[in-house]
Amino acid sequence: MSLEEVAFLVLAAVALGTAAAALLVRELVHTILWIAVFFVDLSAIYFLLEAPFLGVLQLGVYAGAVTVLLLFGVMVTRKRIFAREAATGIGAAPLALALVTFVFVISAVGEFSASEQPVRSYDPTYLSANLFQTNGPWLLLLGLIMLASVSGAIYLVREGRE
Amino acid sequence: MTTLLLSGFLALSAGLLGISLFGILTRRNFILLLIAIEIGMNATILNFVYFAAFAGAATGLTGQAIAVVLVGFAATEIAVGLAIVLALNRLKGSINVAQANELRL
Repeated sequence: MSLEEVAFLVLAAVALGTAAAALLVRELVHTILWIAVFFVDLSAIYFLLEAPFLGVLQLGVYAGAVTVLLLFGVMVTRKRIFAREAATGIGAAPLALALVTFVFVISAVGEFSASEQPVRSYDPTYLSANLFQTNGPWLLLLGLIMLASVSGAIYLVREGRE
Repeated sequence: MTTLLLSGFLALSAGLLGISLFGILTRRNFILLLIAIEIGMNATILNFVYFAAFAGAATGLTGQAIAVVLVGFAATEIAVGLAIVLALNRLKGSINVAQANELRL
């Protein structure tokens, strides 16, 4: 087993463990700490897949901005930051549905080749050309959607609406 | 050149999607719900990056470009989601989604 495979197995185990822990712990602040570890772990997977630009983006946007936004959301909506959530239980039906989805997707994964395939490295210049030339309209659309959503968010939280 | 098993990565995405679905169906706290949706979106973005990495230079970079756009969408979704959390908290005094039973916030 090569070093990359060992790294992938460790990173995959950490990703699944931290995602499950984030949804199962009862303190919201601990949830956000676990989700921060999850985002950093995914960034490491991107680096393993020879996608350094996305790895850095994941660190900046998710591990940085989204984590701080979530922490801010917890801070302004509760008096005691370490207050525990009421226990909601696991729930047999949602667990069964999640397992059925997992098995269904795994059975579809079985269609793919089980042999190892090379991960190709690339020059980030090609990515910028692809992003701004080939997929330029999508990027413009993203900008417009972001502008509309920020306007909507400001409208939702502005003073004197209630 | 690194060689890795594609099906292993796809299994990881499937696992993350299952965890996300479980969180969306069981949690009642709005922030936990947003986190569960984020885990699901990350599973999707991971799929684009795998296929980008394994497909080669001809088609591969489109997958990464879509992943970059999706990261932007996810950040936008969190911003709007937290605005709804704040509005719900101001209106109901709680961020339990079971109490959000009116269409107009």
